[in-house]
Amino acid sequence: MLLCAASARAAGTPIPHGTLELIAEKQGIEAGRTFDVGLRFQLEKGWHIYWVNPGDSGEPPRAEWQLPAGLSAGAIEWPTPRRFETSSIVDYGYEDAVLLIVPMHAEASLAAQPTARLDAKVRLLVCSHEMCIPGKAELSLTLPIKAQPPAPEARSVALSAADLFAAARKSLPRPAPGNWKFSVTDVGDSFVLTANIGHLNTSHLVTQAVFFPLAESQIENAAPQKLSPVAAGFRLTLRKSNQLLKPIARLKGVLVLSEHSPEHSLVDQSYLIDVPVGKPGAVSRSYALGIHPVESLKEGSRI
Amino acid sequence: MKRSTLFIRLLYPMLVALVVYAMPPLASAAKVGEAAPDFTGTASNGKTFHLSDYRGKYVVLEWHNNGCPYVRKQYNSGNMQRLQKQWTGQGVVWFTILSSAPGKQGYVTAAEENDYMAKMQAVPTAALLDPTGEIGHLYDAKTSPHMFVINPQGVVIYDGAIDDKPTTELSDVPGATNYVSLALEQAMAGKQVVTAATRPYGCSVKYADATH
Repeated sequence: MLLCAASARAAGTPIPHGTLELIAEKQGIEAGRTFDVGLRFQLEKGWHIYWVNPGDSGEPPRAEWQLPAGLSAGAIEWPTPRRFETSSIVDYGYEDAVLLIVPMHAEASLAAQPTARLDAKVRLLVCSHEMCIPGKAELSLTLPIKAQPPAPEARSVALSAADLFAAARKSLPRPAPGNWKFSVTDVGDSFVLTANIGHLNTSHLVTQAVFFPLAESQIENAAPQKLSPVAAGFRLTLRKSNQLLKPIARLKGVLVLSEHSPEHSLVDQSYLIDVPVGKPGAVSRSYALGIHPVESLKEGSRI
Repeated sequence: MKRSTLFIRLLYPMLVALVVYAMPPLASAAKVGEAAPDFTGTASNGKTFHLSDYRGKYVVLEWHNNGCPYVRKQYNSGNMQRLQKQWTGQGVVWFTILSSAPGKQGYVTAAEENDYMAKMQAVPTAALLDPTGEIGHLYDAKTSPHMFVINPQGVVIYDGAIDDKPTTELSDVPGATNYVSLALEQAMAGKQVVTAATRPYGCSVKYADATH
């Protein structure tokens, strides 16, 4: 029976107002290779968890791994978050369902073992607009170690593991196109992010831009982000945080653009940017981030 | 479309938008190095307190919500009460401020707050009831707890978290660096407060909804 097949893998562990499950993209581990597992959160309506920078309140989920020798866990790959707004407070996180991908590296020496057991202790905070509840989950997953590339895991439920991982990868921010130029100017109470995206005609318009800062306490999360068009791009004004007392060298984060182009009527694209901060009048070198999302998020997660 | 429907669908959102945009900028509220905005608050003991009456003293502001796990960490460990006792014992004025709106987590009546303080052995100078969020918005308080320290000249010298362990774990309290104590110690010794602003951590302050 299909249900029996599904029970071979641990079902979702209850967390406050939802479930959490440790899933693998493929049915086994190929020694000497990197593979992806994921923390799959499913939350009741009205409840959310947090991004790596939680914004004004809250706390991101943290996983502590216990792995056999020869296996090592990378940092969480954080999908583009959304804003949760209540009067003067803005948080960044996820609602409904989200898969946080964690890359794992299997050393060649693992080939000597038949299986590998992955254990994760996850600490998390689940919040609604009204209240927050801390939670803990102990998750476990045993995978066979194979000499051949493993097949994608079959799931009896509507979505296969392959679909879940593919969807999660789509929601990861990606490096901005190499020909885009960004600069950031410190103008006292605000940072002005200027983007030259090389579109001189009006057939390709950025109708909305939202910046999610990777570091806490750089910008005032609740302040309006003013978008204005400039030649070949746009400018976004970001008010500084009350708690920012010192100059910052770089502004890093995820920039979500709603783009209006002839091919796509309206699409949201999210890009990772990392831009040096210059004083007004100063010429600052700008570049689009060209590194893997995992690395940049790991680096920017705690300042 | 009926007139009332038109009002609700079109004009009301526009009015709300106007009011929102007419509000003073959030960042101008309370800032380290600037004068602490004055306020008048009604305490759970029925007394009225004016911040401006405490020039010449250090003042600590503590945003509170008794249902928030980050606040419970501080109170269930006894840490917040210890700090209140230690610093009020040295002449510091300590206001616990409750900005939860009625019906939201952390909203309490005066009698409930008095019972809570007796049970928890909390000893602030006073617990100020701010259900309209007026004082909270004046300071742009984001979280419970969110802490401010004001010096005897009435200038904000600390704005941010209570300590450097942004978790709900009671076991994180003993090893934490307490930013409020650090700011008070440094300022009282005539030194510059080294860590004058941090990201406040905790639950969002449960303000009254901006729109209905």
